[in-house]
Amino acid sequence: MSAQETPVKRINHGESPILSFENVSKRYGTLQALDQVTLTVNRGEVVCLIGPSGSGKSTALRCANALETLDSGRVLFEGKEVRADDNRNARQVRRRMGMVFQNFELFPHLTVLKNVTIGLTTVLKLDEAAADKRALTLLAKVGLSDKASAHAANLSGGQQQRVAIARALAMEPALMLFDEPTSALDPETIGEVLSVMKALADEGMTMVVVTHEMDFARRVGNWVVVFDKGRVIEQGPPRQIFEAATVPRTREFLNHLGWHGESKIEPAREPKQ
Amino acid sequence: MTFDWSVIWTNLPRFAEGAWMTVWLAVVTMALAIPGGLILAFLRMSPFKVVSFAAATFVEFFRATPLILQIYWAYYVLPAYFDMQFSQLTTAILGLTCNISSFNSETFRAGILSIRKGQWNAGKAIGMSDVQIMWHIVLPQAVMRVLPALATTWVSLFKDTSLVSIISVSDLSYVSLKIRSETYRILEVLTAMAVIYWLMGYPQAKIVDWIHRHYKVVE
Repeated sequence: MSAQETPVKRINHGESPILSFENVSKRYGTLQALDQVTLTVNRGEVVCLIGPSGSGKSTALRCANALETLDSGRVLFEGKEVRADDNRNARQVRRRMGMVFQNFELFPHLTVLKNVTIGLTTVLKLDEAAADKRALTLLAKVGLSDKASAHAANLSGGQQQRVAIARALAMEPALMLFDEPTSALDPETIGEVLSVMKALADEGMTMVVVTHEMDFARRVGNWVVVFDKGRVIEQGPPRQIFEAATVPRTREFLNHLGWHGESKIEPAREPKQ
Repeated sequence: MTFDWSVIWTNLPRFAEGAWMTVWLAVVTMALAIPGGLILAFLRMSPFKVVSFAAATFVEFFRATPLILQIYWAYYVLPAYFDMQFSQLTTAILGLTCNISSFNSETFRAGILSIRKGQWNAGKAIGMSDVQIMWHIVLPQAVMRVLPALATTWVSLFKDTSLVSIISVSDLSYVSLKIRSETYRILEVLTAMAVIYWLMGYPQAKIVDWIHRHYKVVE
């Protein structure tokens, strides 16, 4: 792999990584969702997980957030093993990790403000005034101060996703996980969510982003991990992945998305099943 | 054929008392059967097999046997064989509550199970415990969703309270049938009874219709 030939210094390289996967495998029935996945996320990095649908990217995020038990291998977060089968451990992990879902998953019976404060009042035990104050700051940050008293159903998809980001940020996480945050959005609202994410990255937030937005991965990501059939087939800095991918399957995937980068790669032949 | 409607007017206070008892029975039963149904639903969803089996047995017994039998059974069998003696009114409330709690538990369980897994994951992702997620996120949505079904149960409960007249609880049915046997004015008394039930029941049915329209699930 060229990453080994010309080693690229990653952000905070050499420090203990905030999140690492060590030979993680996970199987659903006959589907090998994750196959010996090893990867690291350093503090301050934006790591983008890309690859075809069903290649294991989202499963990896769910394993990081203790939403899935592993068949083998381990996931370490802030130096401690993540254990989905241990409720206390799982809750401690999740409290330090924000997660944003493809389908937003706002709480429809609550106002926008309450969606953001519910974790503060129930988990962090803040009093209502302090929770409201923090929530309003975050809603301002995602540009939705005026929607505080609205219900989720009355917001556009992009607005809902921005509330979901504010809800996760309210817990002051050390790491943010994004699971295809723009896949369920209308094209015209994708941009507003991506720009909120970019602003977050610019502030130095550590992020793991599962995405099909190659432009985002290229411009905002510091490190790109390519998944295929549950395995990490290639990883490296965006320049390398998008312009000089060494693994044919990576090039094939990028071509399939219509991404040709600056390199001249012959058109994909569609060798699909 | 001659009618004598005066029996109705002279006995109006007794009808009123009976009607009041009917309303009271229905309200008290539902007030007990909502927490009762919730508790049964939680027990039935318990990961402990013994607990969920016991709850399921209870629910399926009360759902699958006639209420009239349950009331009789509680009234005659409990004192005779188990040395448990309750007043008629207590027995009536007990029978109705067990029965309606069983129906409510299935309603609540369906409502809770209908909340998609993503809502649980979203709660977990901000560090909430399962109990907090149930209480703050799942249950409020589930209750809204099953409100129409609960309202339907309420309307049938309201009419089913008439069955407690068989153990001499002086609800509207008992009082009416008593007046009938005292006066022999069968048509007048039964007509009055029907009118009173209808006057009380019709607005409720309308409210239920409104609830059905208003709380339709919108995803």
